[in-house]
Amino acid sequence: MEASLENPAEQIKRLQRCINDLVSVLALAATWADAEPSQVVGAVTDALLRMLDLDLVFVRLTNPTGDAPIKIIRIGPSQKSTTDARIVSEAIDGWFGDNPQKWPPLVQIPIGGRGVSIAPLQLWLQGEKTLIAVGSQRPDFPSQTERLLFSVAANQVAIGLQKARLLTEQKRIADELDERVAERTGELAAANEELRNEIAERKRAEEELRDTQSKLAHMTRLMTIGQLTASIAHEVNQPLAGIITNANTCLRMLAAQPPNIEGAKETARRTIRDGNRASEVIKRLRALFSKKDPSLEPVDLNEATREVIALSLSKLQGNRVILRTELADGLPNVSGDRVQLQQVILNLIQNGSDAMSSIDDRPRDMLVKTERDGHEALCLTVRDVGVGFSEEDGGRLFDAFYTTKGDGMGIGLSVSRSIVERHGGRMWTAGNEGPGVSFSFSVPLLPEQKTDADTTARAGGPRSMERQSK
Amino acid sequence: VTEVVRTTNVERPLVSVVDDDESVRESLPDLLREFGFAVRAFASAEEFLTSDCVGKTRCLILDIAMPGMTGPDLQHELKRRRREIPIVFITAHADESARPGLIEEGAVECLLKPFSDTDLRKALDMALAED
Repeated sequence: MEASLENPAEQIKRLQRCINDLVSVLALAATWADAEPSQVVGAVTDALLRMLDLDLVFVRLTNPTGDAPIKIIRIGPSQKSTTDARIVSEAIDGWFGDNPQKWPPLVQIPIGGRGVSIAPLQLWLQGEKTLIAVGSQRPDFPSQTERLLFSVAANQVAIGLQKARLLTEQKRIADELDERVAERTGELAAANEELRNEIAERKRAEEELRDTQSKLAHMTRLMTIGQLTASIAHEVNQPLAGIITNANTCLRMLAAQPPNIEGAKETARRTIRDGNRASEVIKRLRALFSKKDPSLEPVDLNEATREVIALSLSKLQGNRVILRTELADGLPNVSGDRVQLQQVILNLIQNGSDAMSSIDDRPRDMLVKTERDGHEALCLTVRDVGVGFSEEDGGRLFDAFYTTKGDGMGIGLSVSRSIVERHGGRMWTAGNEGPGVSFSFSVPLLPEQKTDADTTARAGGPRSMERQSK
Repeated sequence: VTEVVRTTNVERPLVSVVDDDESVRESLPDLLREFGFAVRAFASAEEFLTSDCVGKTRCLILDIAMPGMTGPDLQHELKRRRREIPIVFITAHADESARPGLIEEGAVECLLKPFSDTDLRKALDMALAED
């Protein structure tokens, strides 16, 4: 309707201007690259004011982060000197509230004594309510062309703002990411450092443990050697005492007037007998210590047990222990380190003897027994009638440094069990029906001495595998 | 000399040997007789206590470690009975740690097996001088 009132030349001129303005508005977006939202809004208000010959442009930008809205007002040069921008801004702000549905399509506000028509435009930006209000004194404001230009401009602003927002968001995310990366890097470095410290600490603890364990093993060896040395000394000193006494007597008998030849002969014979006795002890010790190969060898468990008993006998007698043995006949050899197994047997016998040292109301009976343990192992048991142990002690007997003896170190049983386990055997303990306890261990037989049933099973193995592979 | 020994035969002081080791019980009495003592040997402390020698023994040569009553046990028992017989301990355990306690309890000497005839003689002289 408006267009029909103008002459065609005027109409064409207006259209040309409109197209120019459109191009200018469209070109605006290009200048907003990397701009902040407030810059975009500032630029578009300036452009609208200038291009469309408006008297005022007001923009209210709701900040998505929830901060106070950004409000920008531009007053045209004709009114600028006479108008209080703040009052106008507040007036527009009052008319067009939070709910765009309640916005009036056009309001008149008196500025500088003349009414100015103000039209609102809403920018739809993902849930935000951005207001652009444009005002002019012209009575025909806003014309159709102006409405078109406003909506295009509004779209451009929307796009520009979205871009700017996106950019800002990207920047924020990038900054936050940088910050988090830096933070996380720091955390990782700290965690790494902590881990390194932990590893070093653990390494140190492990070394300490290894050191303690080797010291322990050494101590036990020394103790065992000390005990053995005492037994050896006793076993050798007895016949030596006989030898020296007999030889002295012999000399004295020969030196007498007249010489006591018969007496001298008798003492000389006894000297020889005691000498042989001493040499028997040495032979036994040799057998005990001679070890050609540290690896597993066939061990006659009964023979090994007898040697240990021979060496412990004087100590057992000293403790008034009445020792009984039940060594099963015809036992096959076990596979093991003879001296180590003997250390275990010695330890069990000494423990049994110690457990009975305070027993006076019954004979201090000890039984050492060997027998088969199934088809593949032999078992040795030492049974005493001593003080025994409580259930609580029972669970900890094999722990290193745990002892129920007043003067014990708590090493013997723990080392004994580790020796037995190294032999592929096991060690256990059980209370007796009467007083005292039984300690037992079992060690596997030499492979070739396992029962016939096992041998056939092994022989059958490869054949059945051949069948399977075909 | 032989004549003198024979004539003083009745006067010979009695030395008792208590040791569970047979070779000691065989060899030591012969040497002690060569020294000029009368000797009785016992395989255990209990055997000695029940014999008729407790009151007559001038010196006791006593093994420390024995099954049943040990040497120190016998020492205490004699003290309890107020039979203060001088004691020379002998032991095959090469352990000097027992010695001070035994001497403290009144023993004359503690000899480690094997011991020489001169050491034994010295200990006996001390024991008889004490007697």
